[in-house]
Amino acid sequence: MTSRRLLIDNLRHYWRTNLAVVLGVVAATAVIGGALIVGDSVRDSLRQMSLDRLGGVDFALTGQRFFREQLADELAQSETAVTTAPAILLTGSLTRTSEGNTHRAGGTHVYAADERFWSLTETPEHTPPTGNEVVLNRRLADGLEANVGDEVSLVVELPAAIPRDSLLGDRNETVTELTLTVSDIAEDASTPGRFGLNPGQQLPMNAFVSLDTLQRQIGLQHQPVSRRNRTEKLARVNALFVDSATSSPDQEDRLSPEGADALTEELAKHVGLKDLGLRLVVHQERGYISLESERMIIEGNLAFRAIDAAREMQSRVSDDEEVLVSLLNEIWNAEDPDKFSMYSIAAGVQFHREPPFGPFEYIDGGPPVIEQEPSNGPASPRVTPEEIPVVLTDWLATDLSVSVGDLVKTKYHQVGDRGELPEIVQTLRVSGIVRLTEPAADPGYTPYVEGITDAETFGDWRQPFPMKLDRVTQRDEEFWDEYSTTPKVFLRLDDALSLWQSRYGRFTSVRVAPTPGNTLEDIRAEWERRLLKKITEPEIVDQSGSSPGPDSAQTIPPASGLSFQPVKQQGLAAAQGTTDFTGLFVGFSFFLIAAAMLLIGLLFRLGIERRVRELGLLRAVGLTPRQVRRLYLGEGALLTLAGGLLGTLAAVGYAGLMIYGLKTWWFGAIGTKFLFLSVRPVSLISGFVIAAIVALLAIGWALRQTRSLSTREMLAGTSEPSLDAAAKKKRGRRAGKTSLIAWGLTVSLLAATLAGVVPQTEAFGGFNWRVVTFFVVGVAALVGSLSSLAWWLDADKAAAVRGQGVMGMIRLGLRNAARHRGRSVLTASLIASATFVIVAVAAGRRNPAAEEPVNDSGNGGFTLVAETSTPILYDLNTEEGRAKAGMDLAGDDRAKRQVGQMRVMPFRVKTGENASCLNLYQTHLPTILGVPPDVLRTMIDDDRFTFANTPADQPWELLNQQLPDSRIPVLGDMNTLLYSLHKGIGDRIEVPPTETPGGTLQIEGMLDGSVFQGVLLMSEANFFRLFPDQSGFRYFLIEVGPQQSEAVSTLLETQLADYGFDAQRVADRLASFLAVQNTYLSTFQTLGGLGLLLGTLGLATVMLRNVLERRGELALLRAVGFRGSQVAWLVLCENAFVMLWGLAAGTLAALLAMTPHLTSTGADVPWGGLQGLLAGVFVVGMLAALLAVREALRTPILATLRAE
Amino acid sequence: MNDQADDLRVSGLTKQFAGAAGTLDVLTGVNLTMQRGDAVVITGPSGSGKSTLLYIIGVLDEPTSGEVNVGGTMPLLLGAVEQAKFRNETVGFVFQDHHLLPQCTVLENVLIPTLAAAKPASDIEDRARTLLDRVGLKDRITHRPGQLSGGERQRVGICRALINEPLLLLADEPTGNLDQKTAESVGTLLLEVAAEQNTMLLCVTHNLDLAARFPRRYELTDGKLADVTE
Repeated sequence: MTSRRLLIDNLRHYWRTNLAVVLGVVAATAVIGGALIVGDSVRDSLRQMSLDRLGGVDFALTGQRFFREQLADELAQSETAVTTAPAILLTGSLTRTSEGNTHRAGGTHVYAADERFWSLTETPEHTPPTGNEVVLNRRLADGLEANVGDEVSLVVELPAAIPRDSLLGDRNETVTELTLTVSDIAEDASTPGRFGLNPGQQLPMNAFVSLDTLQRQIGLQHQPVSRRNRTEKLARVNALFVDSATSSPDQEDRLSPEGADALTEELAKHVGLKDLGLRLVVHQERGYISLESERMIIEGNLAFRAIDAAREMQSRVSDDEEVLVSLLNEIWNAEDPDKFSMYSIAAGVQFHREPPFGPFEYIDGGPPVIEQEPSNGPASPRVTPEEIPVVLTDWLATDLSVSVGDLVKTKYHQVGDRGELPEIVQTLRVSGIVRLTEPAADPGYTPYVEGITDAETFGDWRQPFPMKLDRVTQRDEEFWDEYSTTPKVFLRLDDALSLWQSRYGRFTSVRVAPTPGNTLEDIRAEWERRLLKKITEPEIVDQSGSSPGPDSAQTIPPASGLSFQPVKQQGLAAAQGTTDFTGLFVGFSFFLIAAAMLLIGLLFRLGIERRVRELGLLRAVGLTPRQVRRLYLGEGALLTLAGGLLGTLAAVGYAGLMIYGLKTWWFGAIGTKFLFLSVRPVSLISGFVIAAIVALLAIGWALRQTRSLSTREMLAGTSEPSLDAAAKKKRGRRAGKTSLIAWGLTVSLLAATLAGVVPQTEAFGGFNWRVVTFFVVGVAALVGSLSSLAWWLDADKAAAVRGQGVMGMIRLGLRNAARHRGRSVLTASLIASATFVIVAVAAGRRNPAAEEPVNDSGNGGFTLVAETSTPILYDLNTEEGRAKAGMDLAGDDRAKRQVGQMRVMPFRVKTGENASCLNLYQTHLPTILGVPPDVLRTMIDDDRFTFANTPADQPWELLNQQLPDSRIPVLGDMNTLLYSLHKGIGDRIEVPPTETPGGTLQIEGMLDGSVFQGVLLMSEANFFRLFPDQSGFRYFLIEVGPQQSEAVSTLLETQLADYGFDAQRVADRLASFLAVQNTYLSTFQTLGGLGLLLGTLGLATVMLRNVLERRGELALLRAVGFRGSQVAWLVLCENAFVMLWGLAAGTLAALLAMTPHLTSTGADVPWGGLQGLLAGVFVVGMLAALLAVREALRTPILATLRAE
Repeated sequence: MNDQADDLRVSGLTKQFAGAAGTLDVLTGVNLTMQRGDAVVITGPSGSGKSTLLYIIGVLDEPTSGEVNVGGTMPLLLGAVEQAKFRNETVGFVFQDHHLLPQCTVLENVLIPTLAAAKPASDIEDRARTLLDRVGLKDRITHRPGQLSGGERQRVGICRALINEPLLLLADEPTGNLDQKTAESVGTLLLEVAAEQNTMLLCVTHNLDLAARFPRRYELTDGKLADVTE
């Protein structure tokens, strides 16, 4: 005889109990391994989605800058030999009208591309659109209810050479409309169907049009020199997509950021000034070269590099001058307003004394006294003096009849935040009068602006603002005729900057003069070469910004913004950093795992108890307790091994079921159907190992229970140590006291919460006092009700066996529950805890759609949230602004009244990644909203929104604070920060300097459950610092009565359709965010419910133990005349009592803990489902108990009695 | 061990139980000595403490006071592991309820005590077969307990108790569950094999017929042993 032999005999003989244990291990392994596989599957699916989403596109260059389309060919023909596709990327809105119904889709990604792009999408089944054709992706087509052959209208913003919110920007014609025919629909599974550069598993809305068609529509097509065009215009695009497959077969190397840098460097060799909207104008006769921009104002970071490049040429350049010109609407004699001149150009200059930029030939007086040279550093706030010294041309001095020392006044337009054009009046004092000779008489001070500087008369101007042409005098026209754009007024550059500097830049031209012996053409060529090198090549600097070091070297994208991003590599990386679905499903399956563990323990213990005499014998014949334990642990280990192996197979099935659930029942949690099962051996092994450890712990726990039994007790078949009467009484009293204290705590804390005494501030570790109170009330109520049960069970009189019939049987049943108090309380506790979690989770559901707008809530008191595809420059709160934005409400008084009552808070937008919980990928830089000062004021004054754990009385004020190292304070929604960005208060986010100066954001506050999920907020001033090119507003919060919200929403969407205005109820937006959370709750509830059901099997096991132990007693009842059904009733009563107590205790505790939430608006408890679940658990528990009853009734009465 | 005058010496053994109605004195000073080959029976009414005394001697229970010396060893003073070893090597138990493992064959059941030894004697299985042959179960060694009669089961129990050649054989109501005829044959067998094995046999029973066949007889009354050998 050997231990192994005994083990085999044991396994074979007790196969029924062993099978039950094996099934328990199978359940635990399946659930744990399944959760790991779900995590792998989600990650691998997202990875695959990233690959499918981008097709052959490995790198992308995108931005606001429109450069030559030819760059694509030049890059493709370079040494890199990559496949390159040029494209135009815009955001637009599509409309389809049929049978009186209009379907709109704002925020659509419009891709204008040719066959080069389509070859990268690896979808030969799609024919690239030509002419007026458009290919829609399935989501967009469904949204528009469009089919192939249908006509749709596409509205996109016209690219503006001059920023729209600068003076000469075009604010009249901002959008253009194309009527297109749907030629094809790209299905969800195809690359065009889901194409997008930002990681996201949700399908975008994509429209693909012909590159040529869109270029023509927005004026970016190739235009050869003609009578109308003074210069040739090359076709332009704003995006390049690159497939590097042909250049390097090595996958890793192919997709890396270094690969992107190499491409950027290669591209830099081909980028010319034309690609950057810059030109060098040689003024041969005047002896200088001028750098000008198509935008009128040279972008700040380019201008400084141009000055640096010029100054590096040292001996070859004699001088440089920066100029800022502006247009004065009117200038008049302060003493005599009838002496005036219209539309004069004023130039801020440096009053050089040496040729070619000086000296001026003064008739009288001289230049303004120069106190300091203008600095080249970043713009600083300036104080405009009341009187600015200026030099007038003799032409103007004559017109105004002024001489040196006289005052003149001028009016000029200032472009307001909301596109308004207030006229500013400024007083000037004449410090000198200059003769209109060179160098003052130079139209080259003013850069060429199409439609303005080339106009023959004022009447021919492309009017950027309403001009008062009737006030233009003959003398004004004569000056324009003779001197064209020559300034009539000169002032110090610093003074000009204080009046007219904008966020787009400081200078309208940078002028350079060569030293004698150098030709202008040589200097131009060298300056261009140096300048291009400076602004197109990535810079390598160390962290301190000085000379590069080997370890700290960092690549800074070029100032031109023309840099490639390794989009595929970024997409694959984002798929790795996704929400941890393994953890999520382990959490969701917590009760399943706990129940399986409990079941393993209970079943094993049941087996042990049935064999307790055997244990006693082994100890009696001389086996040490350790030897006995080891023997049974070995048995448990073998069962675990078998269960684990089977469970590993079941894990794949369980994961498959969960993936199916995520694609169907819980679709809201991830929002994609493109999930597949991905089984990795390492996950299977991990699941097996974890489950085995869990099972062995449960078995160890079961064996430990026998420790307190003596060998004699075991030989006698006793499985629980006995307790004497005195100890029992003492135990009962202790339970009573515990119960009273716990109930007292519950009631007082609940009253304090309802009375509003409990603060909403942080208690510790990120938990606020409300959350702490929830847990304390919940646990106290659970402890209270369960110790009440223990107290009651220990009080012998509680259910004295008396009476007859059903009631008598019930009493006896209840008394039986008291027999093993520990067992009954443990069972009730388990059911109560599981019920508590399930009910609390269900009670935590919210439906924000039912919430009223309240200032200090997630909706901030706003009813509507809207976004546009094209920025709106104007103030929608004023009638004038609405009219300028194109709203025409003439004759509709009701509509006028409705919009008159609304209050719109506009926000500036820099589009980034979607960091809301709707996106599973890890994000780095979400969309950023700039909060204008007046909106910020409203937020502060009205205490809008609620904040979580933000250490400030008025968190909105944090946006205006100054942080060290020029860090920018931002606010974000808690969900966005914690779950998508994995950041907290004080953490930083880097904004890479692509196209923009870049900077570091610092999280200063967290909004709680707000409509701002997925975005970050910063002050407008900081927004402009980072993103000077973003003009207008694209995000709006609208305050309007809830009953009018529908009408206002429809009205705005219709009237502002050209902007792609898309409004949604704030409540619905919040509901869509919460749908994810609610789906997670559903998942948790479903799996928790399954766990609870499995737990009831544990209860059945306990019942079976009870019945088996009392077999003789039950046989006796039958012997003395009880019918089988009466005995069954007895056992069921006992079972029902324990179950009902557990269910009721858990439900009560959860509802008490959730009372503050349940009394709020928006609480949305699915009572029906909850009751069904709890009833289901009760029924399963009772059915399981019936098995125990059957066992009790199966044994013959006499044999049982004799055996006893 | 044989140097000792008495192979079993029990002196001043007391045992008290705490109950709801106060302390219950079960044994109040039991003294007993035995030598190899002795067969002693203890009788007494139910609840008199017979089995308690047996289990204390077999180190399955603890006395309130008193000493037990078996072959020069004071087993009550040993640690748990040593006590188990002592039980395994020095004591053999025959229970009223035979406690055979239903999952094991007759032979395997006899060999159960050998599991405790790190390395059992190589001829242990032969010894088991010999014992089974001796008790008339030669043809039943591959049977399981469920296939045996009550008397046969108890005979297997006796073989199991003797497998490690114990110095002391303790029998607790060995015929309690058997009919008269079977009880008689089991009783005879027990006395014979104990004598053959030169072991001390200490039996408790209230079967007077069985008791009458023991050379030394005691009665346990009021917690004390009284020699009733005629």
